[in-house]
Amino acid sequence: MEYILGIFILSAINLVAVLGLSVLTGFTGLFSFGHAGFMAVGAYVSAIVTARCGLPFGWFNYVIGILAGGLAAGVVSVGIGRLTLKLKGDYFCIATMGFGEAIRLLLNNWKWVGGARGWESIPIYDGLAKIIPFVIAAAAVVFSWNLINSRQGRNMVAVREEELAAQMAGINVMRTKMVALVASAILAGAAGALLANYIGFIAPKTFNMVKSTELTIIVIFGGLGSISGSVIGAVLLTILPELFRAFSEWRLVFYGLAVIVIMVGRPKGLIGGQELTPTGIRKMLAAGKAKREFAKASREGGGR
Amino acid sequence: MSQFLQQLINGISIGSIYALMAVGYSLVYSIMNFSNFAHGSVIMLGAYLGYFGMTLLGLPFGLAFLFAALGAGLIAIALERLAYKPLRQRNAPFLYFIITAMGASIFIDNFVIATIGPTPKMYPAIFAQGPIVLGELAVGRIDLAMFVISAVCLLALIFFIDFTKMGKAIQATAYNMKASALMGINPSFVIIVVFGIGGALAGVAGVLYGMKYQVFPQIGAITLKSFIAAVFGGLGSLPGALLGALLLGLIETLVSGYLSTQYRDLIAFLILIAMLVVRPTGIMGKNAEDKA
Amino acid sequence: MSGEPILELKGLTKRFGGLTAVNDVSFRVAEGGISGLIGPNGAGKTTIFNLITGVYKVTQGSIEFKGKPIQDMEPYQVVERGITRTFQNIRLFKNLTVFDNVLTACHMAARYDLGSALLRLPRFRAQEKVLREKAAALLDIIGLTDRAEVTANNLPYGLQRRLEITRALALDPQLILLDEPAAGMNPDETVQLMKLIGELRDRFKLSVLVIEHHMDLIMGVCEHIHVLNFGCSLADGTAAEVANDPRVVEAYLGTEDSTCTC
Repeated sequence: MEYILGIFILSAINLVAVLGLSVLTGFTGLFSFGHAGFMAVGAYVSAIVTARCGLPFGWFNYVIGILAGGLAAGVVSVGIGRLTLKLKGDYFCIATMGFGEAIRLLLNNWKWVGGARGWESIPIYDGLAKIIPFVIAAAAVVFSWNLINSRQGRNMVAVREEELAAQMAGINVMRTKMVALVASAILAGAAGALLANYIGFIAPKTFNMVKSTELTIIVIFGGLGSISGSVIGAVLLTILPELFRAFSEWRLVFYGLAVIVIMVGRPKGLIGGQELTPTGIRKMLAAGKAKREFAKASREGGGR
Repeated sequence: MSQFLQQLINGISIGSIYALMAVGYSLVYSIMNFSNFAHGSVIMLGAYLGYFGMTLLGLPFGLAFLFAALGAGLIAIALERLAYKPLRQRNAPFLYFIITAMGASIFIDNFVIATIGPTPKMYPAIFAQGPIVLGELAVGRIDLAMFVISAVCLLALIFFIDFTKMGKAIQATAYNMKASALMGINPSFVIIVVFGIGGALAGVAGVLYGMKYQVFPQIGAITLKSFIAAVFGGLGSLPGALLGALLLGLIETLVSGYLSTQYRDLIAFLILIAMLVVRPTGIMGKNAEDKA
Repeated sequence: MSGEPILELKGLTKRFGGLTAVNDVSFRVAEGGISGLIGPNGAGKTTIFNLITGVYKVTQGSIEFKGKPIQDMEPYQVVERGITRTFQNIRLFKNLTVFDNVLTACHMAARYDLGSALLRLPRFRAQEKVLREKAAALLDIIGLTDRAEVTANNLPYGLQRRLEITRALALDPQLILLDEPAAGMNPDETVQLMKLIGELRDRFKLSVLVIEHHMDLIMGVCEHIHVLNFGCSLADGTAAEVANDPRVVEAYLGTEDSTCTC
């Protein structure tokens, strides 16, 4: 029972991080290979808050840790964004990768937080506090949903679709991208904080490029531009590896292959870029129907 | 002073491996306009191919070298055909390429971990032990070999690009793929050649790396630094890649010699970030205003 | 129509390295008028649009909108001032529906901030409603209501162009720049487009600047025409004046020796 609860908590944590990246990548079209860096910031800040600050608020300490972690990651992202958002697609990816690794290497060299060996005995969720990850995950879903379905969210999608046209539609592209980056960083930071206080141990190597890439893979798997897709993807891709624990070394092999297959075959991912709402499902059914009718007409029409 | 010169020699020797790797990256970038992250994995496979060539197949060093280069080149071509060509044909947004490259590198790296296993392998000793001593300076035999082999390969590449017909075709395609196609150059073929050469260079670099250090699946991740060198020198510029790699090798060695090895990797990434912020087109890159 | 021009270009020059794309071009667009910008391919017409809308930086000269300089502003700032445009090669948000294309462009009409959106405050709900009504009204005027849920990519070509114009209108511009709006249209569609431009100008109190190759559209709808050739101004005047200008005839039909004398 404890084990199953643990898996769900991990799913919730991954969900928060994935949602953040989904806003940046799926909806705004910016691919980041350094998001684990933001998680690291959140994790370490929360560890500092809950383990070193001696706050007297009981389990509310954890909430403060999460808020502080998310905020810290957000602040860091503003700095990074100022430097990198003006770069073109490819270069932005490389820059985020550079920053992600730089953060990890800096933490590696910082003795006060444990350096490369990591930091043990961080306070962990016990008893009723275990509900916190789920509350945060739910909040993250609402946050992302509200963000995407607003004019700011539509502007992000416009930037993804046609940046030049978005500019001509009066959208301040730099600011839109910055909002997306900061929102995604805050969520990643919160996820990192949750991770720190769930496992009780963090080390810089937890937040390496493999982690960043895994997050991107989950977003792609669930489908770029779909919150439902990211939710389902995060849950599935947390549970499945646990089920196939015996083949754990093959997990990343599968992920790598999945990315290639998805990008080449079905870039829209699992959910196909729609949402699991009544409207979304209707659209998916309509699209499927249109496809079948078209195929049918092509077969019958031939020769005319 | 002699310590400084010694560091210089070390820096140049590591820089020459970086150069081989970085040039491969830049070559592909100049044609395809995307960063082939899977290049590092090809380097790693080259190292393994050379190793198995010598141990399993019992090939002498020279042949094992060729075996690795050839094998790596073929793998690179296969990668292009299977993963990148479909994207190209669909006119996919170029960000898809970089994601696919990431996926390919994760697939390959972890496939090796899952099958061959993560324990590092050692190349059998090829050279006599002991460094060559020149006065107060000592040059490791391996380092010397690395430098010589890298130099030979790079010179051969320069000759190929600048003086052969195929090389000119590559330059033309790098400049403008569509126009070159209209001039009768087959872009598909050029792409195959470029990936093949890039892969072969990666294979050689992999063997050299494995010779100097060890063979392990994470070589691809470590050679990310050569990618930084390519950006440093200017993505798409071969001389830039060479320059960037040598400089990076030197800076790294000097930092780890005079400061500490801890900061060696950090410095590389800080250089990358500084470069991207100040001059993303690199040392030898050109600035171009896009025509909308 | 008042006496002041709504847009004035003075000595506008743009160089790309060694290439002078636009060379000392000056003209005016009257307020409430429909002006045309014509010239052979490569004359620099789209470059001028890009300069006006802030996509390119000006090398020399000035652009004044309603009397105030706007050169070198960021594109979104130019839009905020009141100038929007369409593109030569259609740049719709291809994977969004017709409705969403217009709805996105309506963003400037809403005044709720990110906080209101995230917390779904009443202000957000009220303004979203305003946006949706506005988008629906625009689609109605242009005649795309029955296609509101169609993906932009799947629209027939002519309607895609209409959608682009609708999107440009959603930003409540005072000056709208149309880049070859009739490209690829047959004579029938071109006539309809002509009527549409005139109606939109009257209904929305717009000024219009059109780049076009379709002579019937230009001569039929433009009150004033400016002719470009090789980046230089060639002629300026009413449709009749320009059509009879020998230099214009020469530029389009050519003689043995055509050089740019400006």
